[in-house]
Amino acid sequence: MRALYTAATGMAAQELNVQVISNNIANMRTTGYKKQRAAFQDLIYDHVRRVGAQASDQGTILPVGVDIGGGVKTVGTPRLMGQGTLSPTGNDLDIAIRGEGFFKIQVPDGTYAYTRDGSFMMDAQGRVVTAQGNPVQPTITIPQNSSAITINAQGQVTVMLPGSTTPTLVGQIGLTRFINKAGLNPIGDNLFTDTPASGTPQDGVANTDGFGDMQQGNLEQANVEVVTEISDLIAAQRAYEMNAKVISAADQMLQSTSNMFR
Amino acid sequence: MENMLLVGLSRKMTLERQLDVVANNVANINTTGFKADRSLFEEYLRSPAHEDNFMHADRRVSFVHDRATYHDFAAGPSEHTKNPLDIAIDGKAFLVVQTAAGERYTRDGGLQINNQGQLVTASGDLVQGTSGPIVFQPTDKSINIAADGNITVVEGTGRTDTVRGKLRLVSFADPQKLVKEGGNLYSAGQGIVPQPDITSRVNQGYIEKSNVNSVHEMSRLIEITRTYTQISAMLQQQHDLHRTAVEKLADVPA
Repeated sequence: MRALYTAATGMAAQELNVQVISNNIANMRTTGYKKQRAAFQDLIYDHVRRVGAQASDQGTILPVGVDIGGGVKTVGTPRLMGQGTLSPTGNDLDIAIRGEGFFKIQVPDGTYAYTRDGSFMMDAQGRVVTAQGNPVQPTITIPQNSSAITINAQGQVTVMLPGSTTPTLVGQIGLTRFINKAGLNPIGDNLFTDTPASGTPQDGVANTDGFGDMQQGNLEQANVEVVTEISDLIAAQRAYEMNAKVISAADQMLQSTSNMFR
Repeated sequence: MENMLLVGLSRKMTLERQLDVVANNVANINTTGFKADRSLFEEYLRSPAHEDNFMHADRRVSFVHDRATYHDFAAGPSEHTKNPLDIAIDGKAFLVVQTAAGERYTRDGGLQINNQGQLVTASGDLVQGTSGPIVFQPTDKSINIAADGNITVVEGTGRTDTVRGKLRLVSFADPQKLVKEGGNLYSAGQGIVPQPDITSRVNQGYIEKSNVNSVHEMSRLIEITRTYTQISAMLQQQHDLHRTAVEKLADVPA
């Protein structure tokens, strides 16, 4: 019975949907996290009687056909790259991006990864690094004994050096953007890498050419909305149950057939 | 006597197929822009016996077979996603997408941008504008899709809107003639020409959910299983009748 397999595709799809939703909820407090959504499409149809086929010798054609669908497939789990809310932390090295762009991070293997998580710190050499200790690009070293670190909207980092009355520029944090940021590959640790789908990275300066601006002392929260996720979760769970009902109905029908003529 | 078996069989076949249709609807209960299918049945009369000289006219035997599945094009509920690339179409229009097999139509408004900046569907097919594909520039931000399908952006450091194209919205005189192709796409048969649609409205930041009504589908499911079980019981009775008849007739008195 075909319905058994059709309903099984539905159950598998809803299971995946619940996985995506649970990952969103698990990351609702992850700085710079961007929520995902499972996108589904119908599977190919079996055209038992094709619409427009000739129904008689007189040339009458079928106005509608008999099309039996085969279920559902998952086409992707696109990431929704909407802005998360900014929450002030008061920490000098916390930066939120308001608008387009990602921070460029050098990972241990020498390549670059990208993140919206701007909770930076200083390592033993005074470099600005992520929570995992990977340096922010271009590398910025804060001199020892310096105070009052200021990061402006363009990402310029200035400090006050002892004995000086004017701020000193020590570097500029760059931003990178992609034509298709939803096509970035998540590698965990709040990091993304570029893919053929994302397009090549375009480095630039914050607050220019369509890049967002930097907000020192703020962090970007995850763009997960709990109410939406919970209602999606309920919908997914109910859809799963309904597919299970279809399977039990098909089973009941098979049973009534197999019990005939005993 | 076998007529009853065959009539019952014809009904069971159609019920199974109707269950397939319900199963596909339920499987796609979370598919963006999905339109439910409905089954239609018709009576199929088999010609009576050739001899017309009976006292009473011979009755025709009435079978059932599935005539058609038709698409229920009622609007699905809209979900607010706040994603600038999500659009829900308010009206009977379809988006036009370019696939390898030719022009296809969809109601799935969960759009994406590909690595060349082109507006595509979730499966990567180009969404057609009124003058070709819609292409965004790397410095574009604040994508705005107006109700009439006009797409504007703010370019770079600009302050004014720049037009990037207009969505091509089409509708059909008889949308029932559209054929579901899978992948949320419909194809139009030969000679079926899409008309530009100017009455439908595009809602940005919303997505059209599946229009499958779970209560309808579940009650139909119950109906199908109960009918099927009843027919099985009916055939069982017919079988018992046969057996009794054979036994009685073959019972030679000693």
